[in-house]
Amino acid sequence: MTGTEIDDKRITLEEAARIVPDGAHLFWGGFGYQRAPIAFARELVRQKKRGLTIYTCGSEVDLEIMVGAGVATRFDIAFTAIEALGLANNMRRRVAEGKAQVEDYSNLAMAMRFMGGALNVPFMPIRSLMGTDMVQYSRYRGDKKLKVIDCPFTGEKICLVPSAKPDFSIIHVQRVDKTGNAQIDGIVGEDLEGARCGKKLIVLAEELIDVDEVRSRPDQTKIPAMYVSHVVVAPFIAHPVQCHNYYDYDLEHLMMFHKMTKTEEGWQEYLKSFILDVENHYEYLNHVGWEHLMSLRAKKPWGY
Amino acid sequence: MVKCSKIEFLAAVASTHVRDGENVFGGTGLPLLASLLAKETHAPHANLISEAGFIDARPRNVPLSVADSRFYYGCSASIGLIETLGFILQAGRVDVGFLGAAQIDEYGNLNTTYIGSFDKPKIKLPGSGGGNDIASSAKRLIIIMTHEKRKFVKKLDYFTSPGHLEGPGSRKKWSMVGGGPSVVITDKCQFDFDPKTLKIRLMSVHPGFTVKDILDDVMFDVIVPDRVPTTKEPTQEQIDIMHRLDPNGIYLAKGGE
Repeated sequence: MTGTEIDDKRITLEEAARIVPDGAHLFWGGFGYQRAPIAFARELVRQKKRGLTIYTCGSEVDLEIMVGAGVATRFDIAFTAIEALGLANNMRRRVAEGKAQVEDYSNLAMAMRFMGGALNVPFMPIRSLMGTDMVQYSRYRGDKKLKVIDCPFTGEKICLVPSAKPDFSIIHVQRVDKTGNAQIDGIVGEDLEGARCGKKLIVLAEELIDVDEVRSRPDQTKIPAMYVSHVVVAPFIAHPVQCHNYYDYDLEHLMMFHKMTKTEEGWQEYLKSFILDVENHYEYLNHVGWEHLMSLRAKKPWGY
Repeated sequence: MVKCSKIEFLAAVASTHVRDGENVFGGTGLPLLASLLAKETHAPHANLISEAGFIDARPRNVPLSVADSRFYYGCSASIGLIETLGFILQAGRVDVGFLGAAQIDEYGNLNTTYIGSFDKPKIKLPGSGGGNDIASSAKRLIIIMTHEKRKFVKKLDYFTSPGHLEGPGSRKKWSMVGGGPSVVITDKCQFDFDPKTLKIRLMSVHPGFTVKDILDDVMFDVIVPDRVPTTKEPTQEQIDIMHRLDPNGIYLAKGGE
């Protein structure tokens, strides 16, 4: 049975998180402050998942939540921080405690690893990383991290990075139809490759659209339904970061998050108040407050 | 003398290194502010590229993330990372890249990954992000740092992004696309690189600082030419534009890296 033959792939956020077993490897979508599937990270925490490995170029609040709560312990990534606000405090603490391990790559290296996985080839060549400690040191992949070789055609040095084929790809988009055709506004980051490299793809979307809307503007489809295993539709999935054309980041919340994560006590307080003590995503949104959430809604033509 | 903070001085000086018509990889923070300032003054045709996928960007407010929607309106293309870091950067189409770092050595090599040993890191820093890609493949690199002695080290705790590696011939050995760092700008001085050794060289000292101040504040030997000029001060216009771009002082009010 192919993806397009299933009429309705919608499941709830809770059901989607339940599909992910302990120890699974996940491609994690979104880039910087844009379209991060943070509601999914919060649900994984509520379901007390353990031992996940995360693959992404750069993620921020979602990685902080997953590493802070002990859900994810290994990270094949290029970047983590809260960008303009400062260092990723939870990651910094868990790495210093030896409870989290980061295998360091560059953004292009990770994007090409996803491209390789999506293309079903074992590796991709890049011109980055060479001459640096990213070649010298590996945290857990050992000699499977990368390889610098002499190009068999030109003789020049080239760096090979292993393709990534994680168990799941988790992607957050603006719009989706019930069969899984997904539309993304703004930048795609590394999500086109990322969506296609996982063995199963879960698409989380802000808005459900009809299949007829997809077919009237098919050039807007960034991820065709044939790749998609499950669809989750819910509002404010990326809160407290932004979703282009839907809502801006919640700078107040981001600053509070960054400040609270500076200490373990502060983080535990945030974890309890905003994740563990709320039953589900809608309870979280109630807790943040709808009046506040609606004030973040994007204005035309700016998209934020 | 125009009244300005150390950060304003640093961003204004950095902006003067962007030439009109260049393809510029900005990132966020001070690099972005510097490239936006260049675009508003002497380099109106500079093409600002953000690695998240924005090309030819002209944001009306300063973005807080490379993926910030503030980059979107007014840019001429909004694509993705393979486009920017692959087709544009790795293919050799970026004239100038901007980077900051927690540590730099005498060849302009950078650390943005760990403080402490690799086996038992004291501090996990953000990591490479696109930094290693930019340092490897941009035609030239502008490095921006606040000037603290502990950042200018003989040996990096972790080598994230290539400057001139071990000196002449190193970049060629690894078939790097780009030419490496051309200038390092701090809140006290500007450095360039000695063409023969590719080691860091004092280029100019900001008003209020002496050559000795600089030499006291680095942990390696700096090449000092016979004559070290004083850095040209920013204009009031430059300061005003920066405050218009960053009205809430997100970058101007702090160290910003």
